[in-house]
Amino acid sequence: MNAQWMRQLGAVVSLEWKKSFFNRRSLWIYLLAALPMVIFVGHALETKFTRERLARQRTPQVTMERARTLREGMTPEQVEAILGQAPSRQTRGSRRNRIQSWNYSDGERQINVRFRNGELERWSSNESCNVSEDLHIFAGVYQFFFLRLMVFFGCVFVFLNLFRGEMLDKSLHYYFLAPIRREVVVAGKFIAGLIATTVIFGTSVALQLGALYWHFDGPKLEQYLSQGGGWQHSLAYVAITGLACLGYGSVFLTGGMLLKNPLIPAAVILVWESINGVLPAMLRKLSVIYYLKSLCPVEIPIDKGVPPFLAMLVMNVEPVAPWIAVLGLVVLSGVMVTLAARRSRTLEIQYGAE
Amino acid sequence: MSDSRIVFENVSKFYGEVLGVNRVSLSIPPGITSLVGPNGSGKTTLMNLMTGLLRPTRGSVSVCGVPTSDPENLFKLMGYCTQFDSYPKGFTGYDFVHSFLRLAGYEAREAERLAWAAIERVGMQDAAKRKVAGYSKGMRQRIKLAQAVSHDPRVLILDEPLNGLDPLVRAETIALFRDFATEGRHLLISSHVLHEVDIISDQVILMSSGYVVAEGQIKAVREEIEDHPMQILIRCDRPQRLASRLFEHDHVVEVKVHADGQGLLVKTRSADQFYLMMNRIATGDFRIDTVAPVDDDVNSVYGYLIGAEEATR
Ligand SMILES: Nc1ncnc2c1ncn2[C@@H]1O[C@H](COP(=O)(O)OP(=O)(O)O)[C@@H](O)[C@H]1O
Ligand SMILES: [Mg+2]
Repeated sequence: MNAQWMRQLGAVVSLEWKKSFFNRRSLWIYLLAALPMVIFVGHALETKFTRERLARQRTPQVTMERARTLREGMTPEQVEAILGQAPSRQTRGSRRNRIQSWNYSDGERQINVRFRNGELERWSSNESCNVSEDLHIFAGVYQFFFLRLMVFFGCVFVFLNLFRGEMLDKSLHYYFLAPIRREVVVAGKFIAGLIATTVIFGTSVALQLGALYWHFDGPKLEQYLSQGGGWQHSLAYVAITGLACLGYGSVFLTGGMLLKNPLIPAAVILVWESINGVLPAMLRKLSVIYYLKSLCPVEIPIDKGVPPFLAMLVMNVEPVAPWIAVLGLVVLSGVMVTLAARRSRTLEIQYGAE
Repeated sequence: MSDSRIVFENVSKFYGEVLGVNRVSLSIPPGITSLVGPNGSGKTTLMNLMTGLLRPTRGSVSVCGVPTSDPENLFKLMGYCTQFDSYPKGFTGYDFVHSFLRLAGYEAREAERLAWAAIERVGMQDAAKRKVAGYSKGMRQRIKLAQAVSHDPRVLILDEPLNGLDPLVRAETIALFRDFATEGRHLLISSHVLHEVDIISDQVILMSSGYVVAEGQIKAVREEIEDHPMQILIRCDRPQRLASRLFEHDHVVEVKVHADGQGLLVKTRSADQFYLMMNRIATGDFRIDTVAPVDDDVNSVYGYLIGAEEATR
C-alpha cells in the first residue's frame, strides 16, 4: 500500500458511497431494513396498551403476596375474601364440568384464577412484559428474518450492483480509463457498499432493540442492561450485522463479477445458507450464516412445538468459538474480494453485448 | 525509438464467433493519425484494445512501452474519449471532470485547477456547473473531451469525435486537435468519413471488415481523394438559392438539387474549405437542418483505395 493508492481509494469511496445510499433503487433496502422495526414497534405498542388496561382494572386489594396464599380446592367465596371481587369473570363448560375463570390485576400483572366445579384448580400470574421471552422473540426474528432475508437481500442488491449497475448505465469505463489499479477500484467500491449496508442495517438493529427496550419497565431494563448482559447483547447484534454485510457483501461482489446472470447465484446461495444446518461439517464451514449463528448472543430454545423446517433454520449445530467465527468470516470475505480483484483485471467493457 | 510508438503485434480480437479485428500489426509514430473505415470495420475495437478496455484474443498491444494490462501507468500518459455517450449519473460537467482527476490521485486543489483548465480549453466554462444530463449532444461531446485531456496526456485517443458536432463547433474542435498535437504527442482520431480527417492527419490507417487494409503517409491517400470528391447531403430551405451560392467556390465540383426539393447533393474536393464555407452560409439567411457526408461515396473511395492496395500485394 502506498499513499497514492490510499488517496485513490478515498476518491473511489467518496464517488461511490452516495450511490449506495441515495440511489433511487436503494429505496428497497430501506424498506427491507424498516420491516422488522414494524414488528417490534407493534409489539411495544401492544404491551403498552395491555399495561394501561391492567392499570385501569387494578383493585387495591390485589397483591402478589395475597395471591400466594391461594390454595387448591378453595371455593369462590374464600378467594373473594382474599382478593375481592374479580373485575372480569367467565364461565364455560357443561353442567358436569363447569369452568370459571377470574381475572384480577395488581396493576402490572394479570392474575388468573381457575375453578373447576366450584373448586380452585390453579392460579397463575402473567406479566405484561416478559423480558426473557421477548429476548427470545428478538433472537428468533433476528436470525430467521433479519440476517437470512433482510440483510441477505440488501447485500444482494447493493453488492451485485456495484459493477453491474454501472455496466447497465454504461459508465464503468470511466473507472477503467483512469490511472488507477482496478484492484483499488474493486476495494473502494466494496468499502463504500460495506459502509452503506452496515449503516443502514446496523441502524435498523439499533432501532429494533430500542423499540424492544422501550416497553420494558425501567427497573427491569436497567437490570437486564447492567446484569443480564444487555449492553453486550445489543452491541453484539450490531456487530454481527456488520459482519453479515461483510460476509454476504463479499460473496455478492464476487458473484456479480464472475457470473453472467447473478440472480441464479443469489438463489443458490439462499438455499445453501438455509440447508446449512444439515450439511456435513466440512461444507457447513463454507457459509456465512454458520459463523453468524455462532456469534449470536441469545440462543433460541427449540422445543417440540417448533416445526422441523424452522428448527433446521435456527438450530446451530456445533457452534464455533467467537474468535474463530470472526476469523472465519474475515478469511471468507478476504478470499472473495481477492477473487473479485483478480477478475477485475481481465474484465472487458462490452456494454452492447449485455 | 519504439518507446514513443503505439505497437500492435499480430493482434486479433473475436467477440465469441464475431470478428472484431484480425491479425493487426502496427507501429504508430507520434503525430496525428486517423483511423478510417466504414461502420463495423473495427475502429472502436482497435481503440478499445489500445486502452485495455478489451483484451486481445491473440497478440499484444503496448503504448509507449507500457502494456495495456497496466492501467495505473498506461493512463498516466494516455487519455481516451470513447464513443459511448453516457456519463455518471447526477454529475455536473465540472464534477465529472474533477472527480475523475481525484480518482487519478491528484490533490483536491490541483484537480480543481486542472479541471477548469480543461473545461476552458473546450469552451465549456459557462455550462460547467450545470448537470451533464441537460447538455446538448455537442456539449456532452466537449465535456467528454475535456475529461479525456484534463490530465494533459501524451497520447490522446478520440473515437469519432466529430460525429454530431455542428459545423461551427467542428472547426473549433479541429483547431483544438491541431493545438494538442504538438511535438512528440500522439493523437489518434477515428472517423468513418475520410474527407473529414485527411487534412489534419499526418498518417492514416484504413480499415475494412476487421483488417488494416492500408497504412501510411497521408499524401498517397490524398491524391486518391482529389480524384474522388466527397459527396455531402445538405437539408435546407430554398435549395436552388443555396446551390447558386455554393457554385461560387472552386472546390465545389458538382451540385444537384435533391429529388424531393428539400436538399442538395454537393461534391467537393476539400472538406475543410467546405465546412468553413458552410459556417459563413449558416450564419446568413438560409435555414440549414443537416449537413451529412453520404456514405456511399465514402465506400467507393475505400473500394478504390483498398482495391489499389490489394492489387499491389
Ligand atoms: N460487444 C460486441 N459483441 C459482438 N460483436 C461486436 C461487439 N462489438 C463490436 N462487435 C463487432 O465487431 C465488428 C467491429 O466493430 P467496431 O469495432 O465497433 O467497428 P467500428 O467502430 O469501426 O464501427 C463489427 O462487426 C461489430 O458488429
Ligand atoms: Mg465505432
